[in-house]
Amino acid sequence: MRVCAAVKSNLMSEYRYVAEGFEDAVQHFEELKPEAEVKLQFAIPEKDFNTAGKGSFELKNMLKRLGVDSVVLRRIAVASYEAEINVAAHSKGGIMYSTVYENLIHVCFEDQGPGIADIEQAMTPGFSTADDLVRELGFGAGLGLPNIKKNSDAMSLVSAAGSSTKLEFLIYFA
Amino acid sequence: MIRNNTPYFHAIQILEDNCTGCTACVRVCPTEAIRVRNRKADIDPYRCVDCGNCMDVCEFHAIIPSSDPLDIIHNFKYKVVIISSSFFGQFTEDISYAAAKQAVLELGFDEVAEEAMVTDFMISIIRDYIRVNRDKRPILGSNCPAVVRLIQVKYPSLLPNLLHQEAPMSILTRYLRDKIAREQKLKDEEIGIFLIVPCVAHVTAVHQPEGAYKHLQDGAFSAGMIYGRVREILKEIQNHPVDIDTYPQGLTWALSGVQADLVDTDDIRALSVNGVENVMDILSRVEDHYLDQYDYIVLRTCTNGCVGGCLNVENPFVAMSRIKKMSKEGTNKEIHVEELEKLYAQGEFIVSPLAPRPIMELDKDIKKAIQKMKRINEFLTMLPGLNCSACGSPTCYALAEDIVQGKASIDDCLVLRRGNPDLDEDE
Repeated sequence: MRVCAAVKSNLMSEYRYVAEGFEDAVQHFEELKPEAEVKLQFAIPEKDFNTAGKGSFELKNMLKRLGVDSVVLRRIAVASYEAEINVAAHSKGGIMYSTVYENLIHVCFEDQGPGIADIEQAMTPGFSTADDLVRELGFGAGLGLPNIKKNSDAMSLVSAAGSSTKLEFLIYFA
Repeated sequence: MIRNNTPYFHAIQILEDNCTGCTACVRVCPTEAIRVRNRKADIDPYRCVDCGNCMDVCEFHAIIPSSDPLDIIHNFKYKVVIISSSFFGQFTEDISYAAAKQAVLELGFDEVAEEAMVTDFMISIIRDYIRVNRDKRPILGSNCPAVVRLIQVKYPSLLPNLLHQEAPMSILTRYLRDKIAREQKLKDEEIGIFLIVPCVAHVTAVHQPEGAYKHLQDGAFSAGMIYGRVREILKEIQNHPVDIDTYPQGLTWALSGVQADLVDTDDIRALSVNGVENVMDILSRVEDHYLDQYDYIVLRTCTNGCVGGCLNVENPFVAMSRIKKMSKEGTNKEIHVEELEKLYAQGEFIVSPLAPRPIMELDKDIKKAIQKMKRINEFLTMLPGLNCSACGSPTCYALAEDIVQGKASIDDCLVLRRGNPDLDEDE
């Protein structure tokens, strides 16, 4: 995707998904490079479960102000919340960038590592590397990434062990 | 009562002469419905959910509840009163439940009934509804009218999750209307059914019921007003006690947590929440599908549930303790549920789906909404970010939004005016 272009190297692996019927729309979006309408940015501190979720909460409020359809709104809320919790639970902290375009939202999460060793495995429902602290808080069921995919129209995950992770998804408003 | 030429009625009144424009109410409103303009508070009837926060916080007696005057009962031939379960928690312990109930009857009613009579039956309806509607999780309790309206205005995507059955007092109303018309051979319009309610949200619900298919109640009396009258009568009836049925276990319906505990069983997991901030937090998590493991969530906007209602006289914790004590000291008089079951089987308690009343969207057209949001963000960078409410809007963001929506001007910001000698101190 355009906004957070993936860094390609031999160590990096990438998972890319485009929902059926959205291939042309996503390609069109990436080629057209439309101008962003509204942006929102949030820092996600490492293991800070008191504030984790604030970014997706604010994003949800913004989408309500824009009058985004309530079914679409819940899909965006679920995907962004899962991703935000993922960054707080598994990384050394990161940033959430939400960008509103005329007909879609692009949400990007960039963290400071430690990266995902096996992306295919991470995308398997039920697989989790969550530690005890995270599980005690009720997270770490291994459903985060598959749930993000399920709710997105397009998704991209780029990472490598020992490096940073970049997760992006697109959801169309209609 | 607020009508303001809108379709929304509210049981909250502003006394302009008392209002100092202090903005305390502006800051506590959960739906940002209040603005102070020209030094007077003004409530947006589209946004207000009747939670009562503004009345509780007003120090100047400028925001007051509206409820019906007692003498409206004389417009009816047969007068019935239904008492909400929190009411008997208001009395000091030297006044018995039975005596207080007798005193209510003596205010001029032909019959006295209680919400507490049908709460067991209500639990069975709730469980049935949860089991039939397996595709919807969690089911959200619809007993608190302020919660229902909060969902309509701020969480419209959750409307299908509401329990689409009438609340206990309305179920009882439907049952009593049929029974009295039959037994007393009276026409519907000759029977007046009234509620004694703990909060303004219930007054509003009586005058503007959401989703009701049939004629329900004819008026709502404030628990505080009735409490005063009852105390006077108690002195007179002290020496003439009569036998009166009581339902001490049913009174626990007024306490947050009890309903969820009663509904909770092997195949139903229930959660209970009270206080408007907690309710909003939980509803936001339900939106994120984060609480799908619950089958049922009971939500009440007042502290501890209906005992915390703004029309009550006693502190919600003391009232809760009294009701718990009463529930241990006696047992419910048995009621015949066959008639209720028959009405339920006929679908008489079903509530129609509620329409959303979204208050947050900036424009019906998403493209225009995006343009408005850009302008809001521009204004936001000019404003001081103190969220002081001195302008009359609750936050700097709300002022920016009001400016873009044409309801305020950047000159309303007192902090900016102070730094700008070109502007007059007053208009």
